Amino acid sequence: MITAEQKPIEEIRHMIMPYKKILLLGCGSCVAECAAGGEKETAMLASALRMAAKMNREDTLIQEKNLDRQCVRDFIVQLDGIIHLYDAVLSLGCGAGVQAVAEIFPEVPVIPALNTEFLGQTKDQGLWLENCLGCGDCVLYYFGGVCPLARCSKQLMNGPCGGSRDGRCEVDPETPCAWQLIIENLTRTGGLERLESVFPPKDWSRKQGRGPRKIVREDQQR
Amino acid sequence: MTLKWRPVIAFFYCQNIPEGGWEERLAIEKKHKGAVRLFPIPCSGRIDGVHLLRALEEFADGAIVATCPPGGCLNFEGNLWARKRAETSRKLIKSIGLEGERILIVEGTAGKSLDLMGLAEGFLQKISLIGPSPVLYPKDMPPGTGVGFSLKGESVHDYC
Repeated sequence: MITAEQKPIEEIRHMIMPYKKILLLGCGSCVAECAAGGEKETAMLASALRMAAKMNREDTLIQEKNLDRQCVRDFIVQLDGIIHLYDAVLSLGCGAGVQAVAEIFPEVPVIPALNTEFLGQTKDQGLWLENCLGCGDCVLYYFGGVCPLARCSKQLMNGPCGGSRDGRCEVDPETPCAWQLIIENLTRTGGLERLESVFPPKDWSRKQGRGPRKIVREDQQR
Repeated sequence: MTLKWRPVIAFFYCQNIPEGGWEERLAIEKKHKGAVRLFPIPCSGRIDGVHLLRALEEFADGAIVATCPPGGCLNFEGNLWARKRAETSRKLIKSIGLEGERILIVEGTAGKSLDLMGLAEGFLQKISLIGPSPVLYPKDMPPGTGVGFSLKGESVHDYC
């Protein structure tokens, strides 16, 4: 899922300062799962912003609404007839959600309240890890289900580097050595011989080389 | 006529603590009518940051949470979550310039009773020292003219 964190409240206050009627728009998908932009977080941020406005004697109306998904048109159109009552939308969606709302309602400024971070695995309650870079050319088969690009600090396609200690990365001892995990997994599940090939440098053209990416599925289209 | 500010607190407490019964509630409400708004809850783990924030936003100068002792929660870890959420809320109110001391969480001590009346009075006193909430009484506004909260037609912010 997509992970995100809330921006500092000073930054949010600075961005919404010119507007008098603001709709806080939460999202019930990824950012709710990572406790950044779900219903509770939207209610808390709205309350905090209302209090800040009262303390500073600002005549600002701050209301809240939540969509199940902010990146899908079918959900965003629920704002039709409501959004025009506001001067701006403060979105607690990911970057995709912010842009989707802005595209469908181009006359209303949509302001991000979150910093979108990465594709994350929920490792534990309150702990999310970046295990995938979304490179567009998955190599997990060769590396025992551990991505050397996302999880090795040096992004080595042909590791290990030899610097790890007790299975921990020398760059950040809190990070498990990805190459140690790769070799352990391939040893356990079979397939260690896959590492006998020399892997060429990663071809990043499938991620960033051709401009913004898109997926077209005609069988899914109307 | 001089307006006199009286602090109002929101008091959230777990009903499972031995002192969380009906008699204690009635005694506090009788003695501190209007100044202490009680929120008995089935488990302190039900408390969310938004409850504390909304209380501060709408009527309270301070919010206090009383929980079971560590390890004494009937639902195992409700009191731990209450503490974490209260701390998150405290950080949030500090980030908007409100005093963090306006949110207090008190855990019971194993084998020792929790004096809800004493807690309420102690917190009222503490809030009296901190002063009126700038949310309810914004800058340059004399106490008593801010956003109040009324319950059954009574003003919670009494002035004399």
